[in-house]
Amino acid sequence: MKLRWHLVLLTLATLLPLAIFAVVEGALLVVSERETFRRGAEARTLAVLTAIDTELNRSITTARVLVASPGLGEAELHYFRRTAALVLAAQPDWINITVARPDGQQIMNLRVPEGDYLPNIGAVDESFERLLRTGEPVISDLYLAPVLKQLNFVVRTPLVQDGKVRYVLSAAVNSAAIGRLIRAQGLPPGWVGVVLDRNDHIVARNVNPEESLGQLASQSLRDALARSPSGWFHGSTIEGSVVYTPYRRSETTGWVFAMGIPAYVVEEVGKRAQWTLALGLLAALGLALALAMIVGRRISGPIGSLASATKAMGQGESITLPVEIRVSEVDTLAGALREAAQAIHERQSLIEREREALRAADRAKDEFLAMLSHELRTPLAALTTAAHVLRVAGNDGDKAMQARGVIERQTKHMARLVEDLLDVSRVTMGKANLQREAFDLGEVVENLVAGWRAARRFDRHRVTHSTATVWIDADRTRLEQIVSNLLDNALKFTPPGRKIDIRVRQENGQAILRVTDEGDGLAAAAIGRIFDLFAQGEHGLDRSKGGMGIGLALVKWLTEMHGGTVSVASEGPGRGAAFTVRLPAVVHPHRQADPGATEKTLGPRRVLIIEDSDDTRQMLHAALALSGHEVREARNGATGLAVAAEVAPDIALIDIGLPDIDGYEVARRLRADPTNGHIALIALSGYGQPADLQRAYDAGFDSHLTKPVAVEVLHSAIAAVL
Amino acid sequence: MSKPGKRLLIVDDDADMRLSLKLALEMAGYSVEPAADGREALAIQRQRPADVLITDIFMPESDGFEVIDAVRRGFPQTRIVVISGGAKLAKREYLLDAALMDVDAILPKPFDMEALLRTLESIQRR
Repeated sequence: MKLRWHLVLLTLATLLPLAIFAVVEGALLVVSERETFRRGAEARTLAVLTAIDTELNRSITTARVLVASPGLGEAELHYFRRTAALVLAAQPDWINITVARPDGQQIMNLRVPEGDYLPNIGAVDESFERLLRTGEPVISDLYLAPVLKQLNFVVRTPLVQDGKVRYVLSAAVNSAAIGRLIRAQGLPPGWVGVVLDRNDHIVARNVNPEESLGQLASQSLRDALARSPSGWFHGSTIEGSVVYTPYRRSETTGWVFAMGIPAYVVEEVGKRAQWTLALGLLAALGLALALAMIVGRRISGPIGSLASATKAMGQGESITLPVEIRVSEVDTLAGALREAAQAIHERQSLIEREREALRAADRAKDEFLAMLSHELRTPLAALTTAAHVLRVAGNDGDKAMQARGVIERQTKHMARLVEDLLDVSRVTMGKANLQREAFDLGEVVENLVAGWRAARRFDRHRVTHSTATVWIDADRTRLEQIVSNLLDNALKFTPPGRKIDIRVRQENGQAILRVTDEGDGLAAAAIGRIFDLFAQGEHGLDRSKGGMGIGLALVKWLTEMHGGTVSVASEGPGRGAAFTVRLPAVVHPHRQADPGATEKTLGPRRVLIIEDSDDTRQMLHAALALSGHEVREARNGATGLAVAAEVAPDIALIDIGLPDIDGYEVARRLRADPTNGHIALIALSGYGQPADLQRAYDAGFDSHLTKPVAVEVLHSAIAAVL
Repeated sequence: MSKPGKRLLIVDDDADMRLSLKLALEMAGYSVEPAADGREALAIQRQRPADVLITDIFMPESDGFEVIDAVRRGFPQTRIVVISGGAKLAKREYLLDAALMDVDAILPKPFDMEALLRTLESIQRR
């Protein structure tokens, strides 16, 4: 249901009790007004009746005074007649004055000359008998004066002597006097005022007096009078007009005054109030409904546009909101909607940015995979070809030797590749743990450079280095990796014959490692991305130097894991580059007290190799023999222990996964014999997790190498353990 | 040792690849000239045109496409074999590439040496 209809219902529900109250009150008002009107009319009736009574009583009083005057007797009647004539003359409405004996015989009549015959009236008039019966003054009914042909009534007053009525004085009064009295009331037009005598004959009437005087009153009035001496009824006049009539019969005279009030006059009473009330109610209702509609529209209009705006928002379209909302709650809603739209917009652009970043990462991953594929295929192609050469040429001769060289270089290259990939995985997954210890960065760099030089990796460049002693608290292996990757990068991007310089120094509490080359350099745009994973140099299709974009990313991650920073500077393409690693330097924990340590050199040593894999054993043998060491071999642990006891080697390289007893056990047994205390034990294992290393150290190993073992790493390890 | 129609020019930026290919192909009786990039290859080709050009695609300086293009236009009698480790080439997406439309053979790295030898035999016979 629409809001406006809710409001309309509310309005109606509010107004309904008011309407009921108004209707009831209107009805009550009409009743009350009519009651008031009726009482007013009845009071007026009483007033008029009282005036009539007063008029009649005045006549009675005058008659009494006349009766009480001396001279009313047969002997002095002549004198009384003169007095009566004076009174008659003074009373304009009096027509005649007569005196009669109680038997009805008139003895004086002012309208008949003295001495003329006078009638006996005793039998003709009911009022005469009434007087004799009560002994009190009476008023006759209306009658037509026989002589004057005039409607009149008679006021009779007795002269009582010794408790008996002696004479009756009668004054005939013109009924017009009453008619004047009625007219003097000034009744509103249409209203009928009527005076009735005891017999309900009309004595006076303000409407149609000529036709109605002396007639009987209307049937309805006579019925009402029969029921009650006073009251109010709804009836009709003698002319047949419908009227409401208040009436009253006088207790003293028995005469009646009644008013005929036209029905419409009475019925109009209260109608105006009723109409006013009804109109007021209608006006209130109309106003309320109109307001309900307007308010409803004012609320529902903006809500409608907010609804469509919300729908538009849901469909991702831009929204337009009503400018002016005069209902504050709806305005608040609009504000909230606007904010929600803003938030959605921002979130969408965030999602868009994230999606773009994901796409970029995806592209980088695809490129990386393509590159990885290329990087793996290239050495594999060389390997398969070299393997073919060995198969066809046999194991001897110059060709076979060259082919083996190819295989050694390419496997090393691939091992390095795999190691880098695993490193990326470990570092990016947060699985790389640092095995921190305090050591001299200068010494590490020195050893590494020496190892690479020994492996002839610097042959094509002019490599210089200078190192100071700078102690750092770091993972030695990781630091070697950082230096190796920077050197790799320099070698890769520096043309043969150019210079590469490595320096370690201390500056402001920081260990500074700087690798400077005279290589390809970097464009300004590339400097920002050079440390990103899978970032490639600007070489287009030429990926021969691009590598996989792992080395420098690893340098950055590993440096940052140590709380350091790495930066690159280049004056532009072709103008070389300088990579600088800064690490927090630490105070040297304890001075090395062994002066002989620095004199240890990688001179020829006796090395025992205990390894069941022929390939690995032979490779190690060749590499060590090439460096001038005296090498002995053993294919299992038992033989190894026997050879060790026989030749007393300086160094033992022991594979962990031997066929008879494992490498740990070999180490434990060697260490169990105090005469073997000088032998440096190096574990060889396919597993390089910290737990594996710990197990090796626990068994008595001095060092641990993870297969495949690069020659320079082997040299470094040997240099380290001696 | 070298026989007519068996002069090969190998272009690859990887020294070990050049070396191992040279060893293997010389054992098969071919005369092999190695070149590290396209520029060097073209210089050699101009002096002593090869019967078959075996070239990598992705190399520094001048890449394989340029070499192929130059050899196609300048030395129509020289056969061309492409070897490459590129992922797209491995998936044969470059087969529709205009530059590779009329090479004689394409071998994705790593390839079986016997396959290369068979390929060389077959394109020589054509």
